[in-house]
Amino acid sequence: MALLRLVLPLLLLAALWEGAVALLQISPFYLPPLRQVLGAIWALGPAYAQAFMVTLGEAVAGFVVGGLVGVVSATAFHHQRWLRDMLFPLFVASQTVPVIAFGAIVVLWFGNTLLAKAAIAFYLTFFPVTVNALAGFEAVDPRQVALLRSFGASRRDIWWKLLLPSALPRIFTALRLSAGLALAGAIVGEWFGASIGVGAMLLAALFNEQVVAMWAAILTAAAVGGAIFGVVALVEARLVFWRDEL
Amino acid sequence: MNAALARGLGGGVLLLVLWEAVVRLAAIPPWILPPPSGIVATTWSARGPLLDAGAMTLFEAVTGYGIGAVLGLVLAMLLALATPVRKLVLPMVVVVNSVPVAAYAPLALLWFGTGALSKVVMVAFIVGFTVFLNALDGLLRVDPAAVALLRSFGAGPLGVLWRLRLPTALPAIMVGMRVSTVRSMIVAIVTEMLGSQKGLGWTIFEAVLQIDFLRVWAAILVASLISLGCFAAVSALERRVVFWR
Amino acid sequence: MTDAADQLDQLLTVGEAPAARAKLQLNGVSRRFGAVQALAKVDLGIAEGEFVTLIGPSGCGKSTLFNIVAGLLEADTGGEVLLDGAATSLLGKVAFMPQRDLLLPWRNVLDNAILAAEVEGRPKRAARETARAMAADFGLKGFEDHYPQQLSGGMRQRVALMRTFMFDRDLMLLDEPFGALDALTRAMMQRWLLDIWSRYRRTILFITHDIDEAIFLGDRVVVMSARPGSIKLERRVELPRPRDPALLTTPAFNAIKRELLDAVEEESMKTFAAGAA
Repeated sequence: MALLRLVLPLLLLAALWEGAVALLQISPFYLPPLRQVLGAIWALGPAYAQAFMVTLGEAVAGFVVGGLVGVVSATAFHHQRWLRDMLFPLFVASQTVPVIAFGAIVVLWFGNTLLAKAAIAFYLTFFPVTVNALAGFEAVDPRQVALLRSFGASRRDIWWKLLLPSALPRIFTALRLSAGLALAGAIVGEWFGASIGVGAMLLAALFNEQVVAMWAAILTAAAVGGAIFGVVALVEARLVFWRDEL
Repeated sequence: MNAALARGLGGGVLLLVLWEAVVRLAAIPPWILPPPSGIVATTWSARGPLLDAGAMTLFEAVTGYGIGAVLGLVLAMLLALATPVRKLVLPMVVVVNSVPVAAYAPLALLWFGTGALSKVVMVAFIVGFTVFLNALDGLLRVDPAAVALLRSFGAGPLGVLWRLRLPTALPAIMVGMRVSTVRSMIVAIVTEMLGSQKGLGWTIFEAVLQIDFLRVWAAILVASLISLGCFAAVSALERRVVFWR
Repeated sequence: MTDAADQLDQLLTVGEAPAARAKLQLNGVSRRFGAVQALAKVDLGIAEGEFVTLIGPSGCGKSTLFNIVAGLLEADTGGEVLLDGAATSLLGKVAFMPQRDLLLPWRNVLDNAILAAEVEGRPKRAARETARAMAADFGLKGFEDHYPQQLSGGMRQRVALMRTFMFDRDLMLLDEPFGALDALTRAMMQRWLLDIWSRYRRTILFITHDIDEAIFLGDRVVVMSARPGSIKLERRVELPRPRDPALLTTPAFNAIKRELLDAVEEESMKTFAAGAA
């Protein structure tokens, strides 16, 4: 049933794509038939698989570190008011910096490595997680904290048994958002001189004005996004089972 | 409140001082990391072209933002009214949304050229998506008891939308609009970097080619200041519109 | 109850008060949700200008009954719901006040009060004038421009009641309007409601969990049975009006209370046993 709900929109979209191209006579300059795009991927299977893996690795690395840093900073901010006052405005300001513009500088620092793209992905992910985790911690009923205290719970106990579980729904909301952002960071990071990856493929297709290759790269990006998003959603369903709906 | 402000300013100043000191003491070459004073100096001396570029990018961002916000909101209201269509469309929207908007930038350039249009389209696309998803979420997340109350007064779906759903969704819509401000600048810059003859993105691209990293930092500074300004403006608007929070 | 007894009962009611015709009449109203029979053959009549209170164990289908009378839910076929003797759609014909005040945080007191009037398409300015004139009666004078979040629980409830009164319908449905208030505020609100009712003279069906409240307010108390809900007992309250708190300790009051407590207790035990099984 869950699988059906996953596959059905995909099939519908595919049918819509093929149907629209055929019926509306859309020029292949805008939208080539889906068959042709899938054919292009099939023909260069290993190359697309490699791009998929590389970009996935970059995005996941940044995503995981970003998520951890987000939760840790939120914990620190929650417990130390002065730290929060001092650093949180900087966190907010950091997000108004068009990080993409940093791409060139980050590549200069780290070279053309996984680290460079992961750093950009990280920069995009840590902030939403910090904000939501902090909001989750702050929303905990102080009476519940007092109750646990009266049981003799330590700070660590309170964090593991009350604060973190209460904040998990919000943290996952942020993680789902961040999954997309991390991928965006990885793709754009590849535009600064990378030769492998979905972003690099997009750029090559643009320079050669190959619409089919561009759509093939976009589909590959969708696969990467879907993979990360799917894992996050699965973990969320396991961990936050008590929340019936968003 | 005042203490918080002081600490916030202190944090900012501390960061700048630390940055400046590290760069000077460790003698880090400017192409790796220039000192803040150097960035400000470069920005000042290149203020003419930087302002021109900033104005161009701001124009693209604001135009696309306006179009995207209106489209996103209208679409969300239509789908909030039409439940069956929504159930069909929403999963597809989620699939399309799983691709980062930036990945569509090459397509936009190919279709709409390297002028302002491709940037406006890209910005409208990302803002529209953000506002649409936030607005729809807000429009659907109303208290069913409140809907029942309005229905008992004889209100139809449109009445419920106007008097209950829209005001209820306003906080969520405003969050979407706030988040969109920064995204619109980023997307405009990204698209400019890939192909344009004007704007901050193009400035950055040019500077990278000429290995003039101080100018990259200067452009980033200008872009950040513009983003911060837009963000503050929309935040202020948000506080006025959502006064009951 | 047999049909003959039913008819007799109705004849008697008519004989008792010839002027009072049924404002609302439920005949054999049932409702089933999937496997759950929420209501089973509810028969209930409310005369014009009467204040009827309804009590019953939790989960007895009170809310279902309310939603049917408010027109938000259809009854199963077989029963009939008559307003002024006619079977019409009730949506928009009954002034309905839900348990929570459901005030809209972006509207001030006056604008919350005129919400229903606005939905009806009455001109806002005139509605606001009416509301302004009513504010004193509802203890809201001087608070017309306040927002809900600036008001106490009792005041919020009065705004919600004012909104219900502004929705000018002969039949009012109040669903535990004072349930969330503290005991003192609650007692004050009860007396105040009686005062308002004697002035505006509407027909009221009032749901509550509180037997004292039911007796104190009502012309008649109706006790619902455990699920599937039906009318277990109707008890006329012949206590004189206007009523004041001293009434709560009179033998007459306690006699009625004793009788109703027994009935409610019995039904609650059924629900309890069903839950335990």
